[in-house]
Amino acid sequence: MKRQQFDSFTLPYLLIAPQLAIIFIFFVWPAAQAVYQSFMLEDPFGLASQFVGFDNFIEVVSNEHYARSAIFTAIFSGLVAFLSMAIALLLAVKADGILHGQSAYKIMLTWVYAVAPAVAGMMGVFLFDRSIGPLNHLFNATGWPFNPQLDVFDASVTVILVSVWKQISVNFIYFLAGLQSIPRAVREAALIDCRNGFRRFWTVTLPLLAPTGFFVLVINITYAFFETFGVIDTMTRGAPGGGTATLVYKVYQDGFLGADIGGSSAQSVILMILVLGLTIVQFRVIEKRIHY
Amino acid sequence: MHRIKLTDHLILILGVLFLLLPIWVVFASSTHRPETILNQGLQFWIGDYFLETYSAVLFDNTGFTQAVNAVLMLKNSLILGLGFSVGKILISTIAAYAIVYFRFPAGSFFFWIIFSSLLLPLEVRIIPSYEVVSKLGMLNSYTGLILPLIASATATFFFRQFYKSVPEEILEAARIDGAGPFRFFVDILLPLSKTMIAAIFIIMFVVGWNQYLWPILMTTDESYFTVVMGIKQILNDLEGNRIPQYNKALALSFLAMLPPVMVVLIFQRWFVKGLVESEK
Amino acid sequence: MKATKTIFAAAAGLAMLGAGAANAATEITFWHAMGGGLGETVNTIAKDFNASQSEYKLTPIYKGGYEETMTAGIAAFRAGEAPNIIQIFDAGSATIINAKGAVYPVASLLNENGVPFHAEDYISGVRNFYADSKGDMIGMPFNSSTPVLYYNKDALAKAGVQPPKTWEEFEEIAPKLKKAGYIALSQSHTPWIFSENFHSRHNIPLANDNNGFDGVATKINYNNEHMRMHFSKAREWQQAGLFGYYGSKWGDNQKPFIDQEVAMWLGSSGSFGGLKKSAKFAFGTTNLPYWNSITKGEEYTTFIGGAALFAFSGKEKAQNEGVAKFFQFLTKPETQFFWHKETGYVPITNAAYKLAQETGYYNDEPDAEVGIQQLNQKAAANNKGYRLGYYVQIREVMTREYDQVFAGTKSVDDAFAAIEDGANKLLARFAKTVQ
Repeated sequence: MKRQQFDSFTLPYLLIAPQLAIIFIFFVWPAAQAVYQSFMLEDPFGLASQFVGFDNFIEVVSNEHYARSAIFTAIFSGLVAFLSMAIALLLAVKADGILHGQSAYKIMLTWVYAVAPAVAGMMGVFLFDRSIGPLNHLFNATGWPFNPQLDVFDASVTVILVSVWKQISVNFIYFLAGLQSIPRAVREAALIDCRNGFRRFWTVTLPLLAPTGFFVLVINITYAFFETFGVIDTMTRGAPGGGTATLVYKVYQDGFLGADIGGSSAQSVILMILVLGLTIVQFRVIEKRIHY
Repeated sequence: MHRIKLTDHLILILGVLFLLLPIWVVFASSTHRPETILNQGLQFWIGDYFLETYSAVLFDNTGFTQAVNAVLMLKNSLILGLGFSVGKILISTIAAYAIVYFRFPAGSFFFWIIFSSLLLPLEVRIIPSYEVVSKLGMLNSYTGLILPLIASATATFFFRQFYKSVPEEILEAARIDGAGPFRFFVDILLPLSKTMIAAIFIIMFVVGWNQYLWPILMTTDESYFTVVMGIKQILNDLEGNRIPQYNKALALSFLAMLPPVMVVLIFQRWFVKGLVESEK
Repeated sequence: MKATKTIFAAAAGLAMLGAGAANAATEITFWHAMGGGLGETVNTIAKDFNASQSEYKLTPIYKGGYEETMTAGIAAFRAGEAPNIIQIFDAGSATIINAKGAVYPVASLLNENGVPFHAEDYISGVRNFYADSKGDMIGMPFNSSTPVLYYNKDALAKAGVQPPKTWEEFEEIAPKLKKAGYIALSQSHTPWIFSENFHSRHNIPLANDNNGFDGVATKINYNNEHMRMHFSKAREWQQAGLFGYYGSKWGDNQKPFIDQEVAMWLGSSGSFGGLKKSAKFAFGTTNLPYWNSITKGEEYTTFIGGAALFAFSGKEKAQNEGVAKFFQFLTKPETQFFWHKETGYVPITNAAYKLAQETGYYNDEPDAEVGIQQLNQKAAANNKGYRLGYYVQIREVMTREYDQVFAGTKSVDDAFAAIEDGANKLLARFAKTVQ
């Protein structure tokens, strides 16, 4: 903190006031409400409420479907992050290696970034449709009795595929930038020392890419947690058998559609704690990257 | 060596196909009659009904009370996207300026408050947010649609990082020249941040445009419907018991993704730079 | 705060706050869940109402599916922004009826605003579902339907069979339909058709406290021998290729019937209008089958499904008068007959039913009468309806378990044990919130 700064008594407060006002009104106030309501039991219309201590939390945590949803969320997030990162990394390495047409590939591989998760989910609805969807026909043609309406595994495949599809572009951008920031001298040295391209990737490129990779991982997990809401709401709504409901989708389903405000607030608070952990990790990674 | 390059291209082409083919199928199918789609499935080549379908989707009243069509929904999405990105940049450039360039006692405390807003996405505090917005009388208004979304401090966080990366010598030099905080910000810092602002603008525009859940809750007045939430109406329609208008549903999906995709394509360079440096 | 707003709005050039244009007529808002063609019919009715008088202007607003509409209404009520009228579906009725003071009961609303209310004007199957235990209507029945069986006439002719009256008959004809190349049956709403209406059709209690009408129910009765028998049978049929379960979505189960893969489909009497447009074959309609072995030859009526209109309390007198006038307009025989013809939902008043009979509508469309006839069948202790709190979530639990039964990942016994456990927990929780 030895950085030079201005000294002014009022100016900084004025500058920061708009941001703070918005955050207090639209973030702190509602978030405090959520915490408060997580200890209350209230009728849906908010006509009467009573303090119930940790009852809401106990009920949420002891519910076997909540546990199932937590497990699904973990598997789903892990797979979405792993697959979209692996595919993006492969494409980034290949794009980084070629000389001709790199910018054309770059353009074509990045613009899916702009597609909304809900729109991606809508496309998924059509592509996997039982009667008009080509992917459904394709899977069936391979002898796979593909049935996402009934089979949790098949339904998970559809939401994971769409979520991965939507996320590859972002990851590709980060990985390509990460690769291109590796100094030329290092690359050339590696090229001489290690002729086997695959080994060179494992021993030189990947370790140098690790900070980017870790950062991208955090982003992907956040994405799989929250932003896939649109994908799940359009494609499965948590069906079949509640097998594709992520924790965030459950907050919406129980609290919003089911009108159980106390219970869903408790779920929100649990998520808040989870995200807090994630964000601390994210923050550390960002700080580290800024300093080197 | 040449063979390796060939497989590299092959992998890249496969990647491109994987990403673009679905969008192509959606577009191609949207130019066919719904009966064709119903009987033969989604189409891989363009049909003869492009103008008919798209003009119907864009300009025809879709059966709500008022004349809600894709043009109106696109306009609302544009307002949401622009309002969100412009608002966020305005607020966050100055907030980050205060945090980085001023010595004031509450500075780091405020920073942590702002930072904490990254913790709770709107999805998990949606009912209290709705209540707050309605207590302020902002339901069915663009202000109520946009302001709560701005509450997340991603952009502030980013500008803070960016300002910290600006060499200290610049401030020293400016001070020697006698520049005050206002002149330094307007004449030096903002011009330096130009590319970054553009990049953040593009990213935030896309994020704003793509909002889904919040507009569904917020807007009870059809004249505020956005095109991404229009998707929800289509789904309800498809699940209803009338003949599914596949062509129109596909066309609206395509229209919903077209503007943000165009923005990203046109401003490719800035957008990539912004993403890489902002790291959300 | 004000400064922030001003800065923001001025800079972005978006200072456009929604404000209704002031005009002489009293504005009445009506949130509904009728999408697509049904929504157009609602709009027509609203236009006709507005044209019929000049004092009130009714604005119908489509709020998404049933769940979304109810949720939006609850959130708006909590925020003091409730509409005048909201459409709430059968499963949500307990939630809104138990919200003491949130709703202006329809019977009082009408009586206090110059529109006499007589319960006997409404057909018997519709009268009780949204009424209190004294029979006073709290919600105005709107789109009322009941589950019926649709059958593909060509398919049945090809197999040489008649539509089944009972499930016993179904077991006889289903293999023949299979031989003719069809899956015999699908159904579109397992909680509504195979669970709630199963209890009404066989006169089995669904929950304690007179199915929730006499108090806040806390014990669900789904885990009974008849339900377990029925679902075991359905699972057997499914495995034998006689019954198709295409997930929990309505349309996914209806589509194979339209595509002529499935010979018979259990849907809503309100599906009639849509089916006439989408089915490319001759189809017939008949009553929901029942197990002769359970009812011993008796045939009980079914519940109405669909939704009712509720008026929120705390509104201006002039608006309430407008709501009363609209309900009066809505229940006019002509309006009801129009609604019935356009959508296939049953007419809710005796006068409207009579009008439909007199115009000879059922001579041309005998299938359109099946729903209302079924609703006029024998009523007993357990056919009035059910009133269970958090029932939207209970249905969610049921769907979750049924999905697993038909995916073969859970036994019928385990699934019903889980439903009982999950539902009773939710009921207990709801009971705590309203006491």
